[in-house]
Amino acid sequence: MGVTCVSQMPVAEGKSVQQTVELLTRKLELLGAEKQGTFCVDCETYHTAASTMGSQGQAGKLMYVMHNSEYPLSCFALFENGPCLIADANFDVLMVKLKGFFQNAKANKIETRGTRYQYCDFLVKVGTVTMGPSARGISVEVEYGPCVVASDCWNLLLEFLQSFLGSHNPGAPAVFGNRHDGVYGPADTMAQYMELFNKIRKQQQVVD
Amino acid sequence: MADVLSVGVNLEAFAQAIGAIQALRSSVSRVFDCLKDGMQNKETLEGREKAFIAHFQDHLHSVNRDLNELERLSNLVGKPSENHPLHNSGLLSLDPVQDKTPLYSQLLQAYKWSNKLQYHAGLASGLLNQQSLKRSANQMGVSAKRRPKAQPTTLVLPPQYVDDVISRIDRMFPEMSIHLSRPNGTSAMLLVTLGKVLKVIVVMRSLFIDRTIVKGYNENVYTEDGKLDIWSKSNYQVFQKVTDHATTALLHYQLPQMPDVVVRSFMTWLRSYIKLFQAPCQRCGKFLQDGLPPTWRDFRTLEAFHDTCRQ
Ligand SMILES: [Zn+2]
Repeated sequence: MGVTCVSQMPVAEGKSVQQTVELLTRKLELLGAEKQGTFCVDCETYHTAASTMGSQGQAGKLMYVMHNSEYPLSCFALFENGPCLIADANFDVLMVKLKGFFQNAKANKIETRGTRYQYCDFLVKVGTVTMGPSARGISVEVEYGPCVVASDCWNLLLEFLQSFLGSHNPGAPAVFGNRHDGVYGPADTMAQYMELFNKIRKQQQVVD
Repeated sequence: MADVLSVGVNLEAFAQAIGAIQALRSSVSRVFDCLKDGMQNKETLEGREKAFIAHFQDHLHSVNRDLNELERLSNLVGKPSENHPLHNSGLLSLDPVQDKTPLYSQLLQAYKWSNKLQYHAGLASGLLNQQSLKRSANQMGVSAKRRPKAQPTTLVLPPQYVDDVISRIDRMFPEMSIHLSRPNGTSAMLLVTLGKVLKVIVVMRSLFIDRTIVKGYNENVYTEDGKLDIWSKSNYQVFQKVTDHATTALLHYQLPQMPDVVVRSFMTWLRSYIKLFQAPCQRCGKFLQDGLPPTWRDFRTLEAFHDTCRQ
């Protein structure tokens, strides 16, 4: 895989989430991007169960268990600012067994679904982020396959993003700064989605 | 049609000439018959010899006569084939089944083509000899053909020498690592890894670079049985483009007397791709054009350009 940038696209003024997504995909198609199936990234939140917490009453850490249709055989478990564990897909079964320690906050389940587009060596995924029944926002993921070092191609990625995002100017993802010369990996993409989802959870619900 | 007519005019002489050939053949066989039969029974030995010699002379005379006749006739027949630019093959135009076997028209075209090729090759070789130290990319086709001919001696460099040249280049560029292997006999294959940007497979023949394939840093360069995969191309358009440019560079950097300098120049040029994703185009100032970064590197200045932005 190459370097990936995940960002949130604000909903256009006076438009719904759906309309903004359509606007974006139309721009991509005009650019010459080709549709290549669909994608889905989901995220479940787990609380550390009360029984395992220390007597000091400190707040339990949150753990996120995520799936990405790009890696159908894997499951990702992340702590905020913490390590990312990449496991086989049946990690979910293990989590059920561990419910004495980790409790699934079902209401917090969030996911993004949408269409994949291929343009030259770029892979673009525009998704609608939903929590429960309501659309909460728009995710835009751009992967540049040939490059493996995030800091090498950020300017190039930004130029590409601006070619279809219009006036919206996404900043460099935080994970890009973490390791200057490291090889970019799938865990970095999942961390970006986790941040995006956390941001959207805190935002006001968008009327659609 | 002119060919058909000119042959037609001489048909009679032609028939006579065939007759003369038959006569010549029979008189020649008579000579041999006479020799085979030997001396005939005569009373005296002297008589026998005389008769034999007389016969033999007669036969030789008739051979001579028939031969002269044939020569005379052959002058009458003329030499239609020699008047034709394609010599005897020109007679193919007489073939009545043109539609089924268009040999003649194909032949004419091949002839024209090879004439032109020879002419252009001559011009190119003149130009190349004027600047033997540098070969321009414009005459790629011709020069590629000339290359093996021009340097027969340097093709048999000892492997140890090649190893030395490559390891010296390897030490020259810290961000570039070169791994040399010889999976197929004496010819070396290089796997060049440039930073975390790209990998290049270089197929050498002695110190000459035969073929080069550029792939991404995260792409597999080995076949299933663990050998360097010198045939499949990169999955990414950007590296397919760089592969094309690298092939052009192989034809540009030429110094027949000093093949090690050529390899070094090529590697120096290749090293400029360390900024493949970081350098904007020197002409339009942008990173992307049609989804591709500036994939071209100037041979002299090593500056980055989009393929369509270079001069
Ligand atoms: Zn340009």
